[in-house]
Amino acid sequence: MDPVIQLKNVSYRYPVGDEQVLKNVSLDIGRGKLVTIVGNNSAGKTTLCNLIRGFIPHFYKGDLEGSVLVDGEEIADAQLGQLAEKIGYVFQNPFIQISGVKETVFDEVAFGLENLGVPVDDIRRRVEDVLQLVKIDNLRNKNPFELSGGQRQRVALASIIVMDPDILVIDEPSSQLDPVGTEQVFDIIRLMKERGKTIVLVEHKMDLIAEYADELIVLADGEVKLHGPVREVFADPSYMALGIQYPHAAALALDLQEKGMELPFLPIRDEEVAECLARARRKEGRP
Amino acid sequence: MATNAIRALHPMTKFTFALFVTAAVIAVPSYLFAYAMFAALLVIAAAAGVLREFFAFVLKTLVVLLIIVFLMQLLFYPGDDIIGGWWVFTLTQEGLAYGLLLTSRILAIGSAFILFFRITEVKDFVKALENMGLPPAGAYVVLSTLQIIPEMRRQSNVIMDAQKTRGVETEGSVLVRAKAFLPTLTPLILSAIASTEERAITLESRAFSAPVNKTSLHTLERRPIDTGLIALFTIGAVALIVWRVAVWIL
Amino acid sequence: MTEIRLKGVSFAYPDGTKALEDLELTVRAGERVAIAGQNGAGKTTAVKLMNGLLRPTEGTVEVGDWDTKDRTTAQLSKKVGYVFQNPDDQIFHNEVIDEVRFGPKNMGFDEARTDELTAWAIGLCGIVKHGEENPYNLPYSMRKFVTVASVIAMDGDVVIMDEPTAGQDQVGLAILKDVLDELGRRGKTVITITHDMEFVAEHFDRLVIMANRRIIADGPASELFSREAVLKESMLKPPSAAIIAQSLGLPEGIIRRKQLEEHILAREPH
Repeated sequence: MDPVIQLKNVSYRYPVGDEQVLKNVSLDIGRGKLVTIVGNNSAGKTTLCNLIRGFIPHFYKGDLEGSVLVDGEEIADAQLGQLAEKIGYVFQNPFIQISGVKETVFDEVAFGLENLGVPVDDIRRRVEDVLQLVKIDNLRNKNPFELSGGQRQRVALASIIVMDPDILVIDEPSSQLDPVGTEQVFDIIRLMKERGKTIVLVEHKMDLIAEYADELIVLADGEVKLHGPVREVFADPSYMALGIQYPHAAALALDLQEKGMELPFLPIRDEEVAECLARARRKEGRP
Repeated sequence: MATNAIRALHPMTKFTFALFVTAAVIAVPSYLFAYAMFAALLVIAAAAGVLREFFAFVLKTLVVLLIIVFLMQLLFYPGDDIIGGWWVFTLTQEGLAYGLLLTSRILAIGSAFILFFRITEVKDFVKALENMGLPPAGAYVVLSTLQIIPEMRRQSNVIMDAQKTRGVETEGSVLVRAKAFLPTLTPLILSAIASTEERAITLESRAFSAPVNKTSLHTLERRPIDTGLIALFTIGAVALIVWRVAVWIL
Repeated sequence: MTEIRLKGVSFAYPDGTKALEDLELTVRAGERVAIAGQNGAGKTTAVKLMNGLLRPTEGTVEVGDWDTKDRTTAQLSKKVGYVFQNPDDQIFHNEVIDEVRFGPKNMGFDEARTDELTAWAIGLCGIVKHGEENPYNLPYSMRKFVTVASVIAMDGDVVIMDEPTAGQDQVGLAILKDVLDELGRRGKTVITITHDMEFVAEHFDRLVIMANRRIIADGPASELFSREAVLKESMLKPPSAAIIAQSLGLPEGIIRRKQLEEHILAREPH
């Protein structure tokens, strides 16, 4: 594996907190992977995102031990302003994620590139491309303040994608969106994965994780409890003890197993259940 | 882009003009001159197509102030040339003259800047200041404040709604509404503070502090006419001031 | 008890934008109703008509024997409680306990009753240990429960919740279930706006689906989830159990995991 993000024995406590929010976390995240962080609220998911993006220690102070490396470089040594080109960050609240100084979506998306000093002609071309890619070209002349939550979240994503970072950190992008908005956002995430981006995603909706993610990192009480390919983690017996949701198909299968049914594998997507049951039947020599 | 010839001028051209009006009415000690300046401003406003808004805004903001200032000078300005009396006050020629001069100057200067902001978009003005060396953070503060005010008004209405649904009577007299308005301030301020941090993160995510020279999609055109007019207004202002100082010294 | 009736209701904003057209909806006392549909379908507008935050431009909205146009929202709040979608739009005290007490105090309950309702509400919502804290220091999911507690503490007959499951984890969902069950025991009407069809399947018998400013379907959730045309128009995806049941060729109407399990176990020997 070619790890693009490495955490080595990282512990962290916020300046006002009494307890460590992350405890001795060590992780490698491979290039081009879509890695999802799950865990119950206050398990440390957002803190982990802030750490990878460098907002800890550059923005939030507090006690940080261990090291966070991105592309082999210590993030604490990098300059916050330079990281934007390398790591994009999109967070939960779509209403605050606008610059607040631009009057159109087009200008809003261009804002990051202006800050990076990209020549004006390049900015126009890149913004045009991203508006098409994220399918918000119809919003180009709208005022960002007048958009719905779902539209704003897509504008926020576009504003980050336009800077073309290699890594995207996305913290619960869908929690305030309706199903169509959620689907649109995950379409964009899939597209980014196809373009070889490394994506770190926090998400509660396990069915979406089962569908899109490569790997799963499970956090509880600030510690990494499990980390591995999505399917393996859900199938790990210790996952159940953590009290975190399963994808619906997996929850069903586990209940069936508990009631005595033998299943050949743990389905994690709805469409895998039929196949799973059919194979169970064949194994028992029934039609 | 504004198609009107006056509005299409560079913000600094318009700003220099406002400064020129200021210098002129201070240099020339004549209320007729200052009132004439106001008349000239009306003509310019009409040419720029903003006469109605301009005039209405001047009425709303300046007239009460002007009346008060005028009466104060008329009643209290010391002088010997008595032209009348009213109740315990004596009205003097000096008071009348000074009242007229002072109000004419306030009117001219105030209107010059009101007109400036009527025919200049704030973002253009801030851009111009940025070009002259205002740091981007300063420009950001000015622009974001302007955008956030309507947002806060919206937020205030939402909080008011939340209170109604919890049994607070907000429909009725001014007093009832005022009483209901106060509790909205706490959440308004708290959420503004809470969002400051997230806004800062948003800005950092967009490379706001990147150590490079920013580029801008929004550029201001500075044409020869702007350079000419700025030179003209500057020379005019300086000439009037020099003339005034010369008269005063000699 | 309080029944809510919307009769021929249309609503347009002052600028003429239509938000609702010709709504007919009766919610009986003690019923649990979920309202679903995409953003912009008119869900929030519909519930805001029920507590007087908005008044119909056409038709009438009745809450019990009151016509909402003769009442202020403050008066209607005695009968209808409303949990906002965004907790930050609702919270305005510096301590959780004060926030929760605010509503019942305004309802005119005496001190003892106010204390009793407050204790009940914060206990039910799992925020007892945060009573003295500033709500703004709590995480989003917890702030949401502060707003739920402060509304149910008012002890109205009807509780409306806008997107209660957004951002909730397993723990939060379990608390929400307790809240719904307890409100049910007390005979309260619960109306929920939600995008979460699993939540609907587990806890709501009746589902109202809105699309393009109208109600396009109203009935038992188990029935609506098998109506293709309705799902298509509203762009809703049925709960997992229904999707899996369909892929297994099981009969229509299965929407909960437990039901699905029973069907599978009955069919497959084990």
